[in-house]
Amino acid sequence: MLAGCRGAVAPPTDLVRLVAAATGSLVRMTLVPAAGARINARLKPVLELADGTRVQFDSQSLTADSAYYAGQPEASMASRGRIEGTLRVGVCPAGLDACLALALPIDIPAP
Amino acid sequence: MTIRMLGLGTTLLLTGAAVSSRISRTTTAGEPMAAPAWRNTSWLNTDRPLTLESLRGRVVLLNFWVFTCYNCTNTVPSLNVFDHEYRPRGLTVIGIHTPEFPPYGGEHDRANVARALAKEGISYPNAQDNDRATWNLYGIQYWPSFILIDKAGRIRYEGYGEFHVGDPTHREWARRIESLLAE
Repeated sequence: MLAGCRGAVAPPTDLVRLVAAATGSLVRMTLVPAAGARINARLKPVLELADGTRVQFDSQSLTADSAYYAGQPEASMASRGRIEGTLRVGVCPAGLDACLALALPIDIPAP
Repeated sequence: MTIRMLGLGTTLLLTGAAVSSRISRTTTAGEPMAAPAWRNTSWLNTDRPLTLESLRGRVVLLNFWVFTCYNCTNTVPSLNVFDHEYRPRGLTVIGIHTPEFPPYGGEHDRANVARALAKEGISYPNAQDNDRATWNLYGIQYWPSFILIDKAGRIRYEGYGEFHVGDPTHREWARRIESLLAE
């Protein structure tokens, strides 16, 4: 949860979680990987909202090989009610040179 | 036939120990399982679709990959070495290009796959597995993954994870390939 903001956290998984916080008229969302896990930056994470809108995450902070995010990818969208949809993200677990494609159902209250 | 190698939810899988390579599953009788026949229709680097039946008598290495996967492209040099060294001796390397995202991610696009093959210097056949049918058929979970099939069409070894030319995992796969070629 982001400091200083109202926030809501999607049901945690072992690899990545979505943190949403209200900042004025916007909702800022951040993907927080588990310790040691790496998020694929070659395929930017996407939140597919229930109304069909796609919200893409990104960060300017990449690993030296540009393959993974060094920082936490973020996305913003206009404030709305509950955040419902599917988060798609490629994640490589700590200590493993292989990756998984996650399609995580998201249903969190309005931050 | 569907092989259910890992019948667990993704979340549960993530807590498992990292095992990069292992001997294949067997039937209840202790014999290697027959490899299921893939039915991919879109192929690159070959003038016609390859079938498991048509490859009987050759050793087949399936590589499940996608061009957006860094671990996958990092492993391509090893696969190119295997293709170069062992194709004349009876190995067929096949890339099973399996997208991670829906079509909007661009991984389903044949032209994008073709560009990736050229960029990576891949000359072995590749099948587009856009519906993940072959991925699911083999019970694959990770990018990259590997299935090694013997001359009789049986799954003998499987594994996943990046490796590099000359490293211990590369040498282990080479040893496996050579053992199956010698049978």
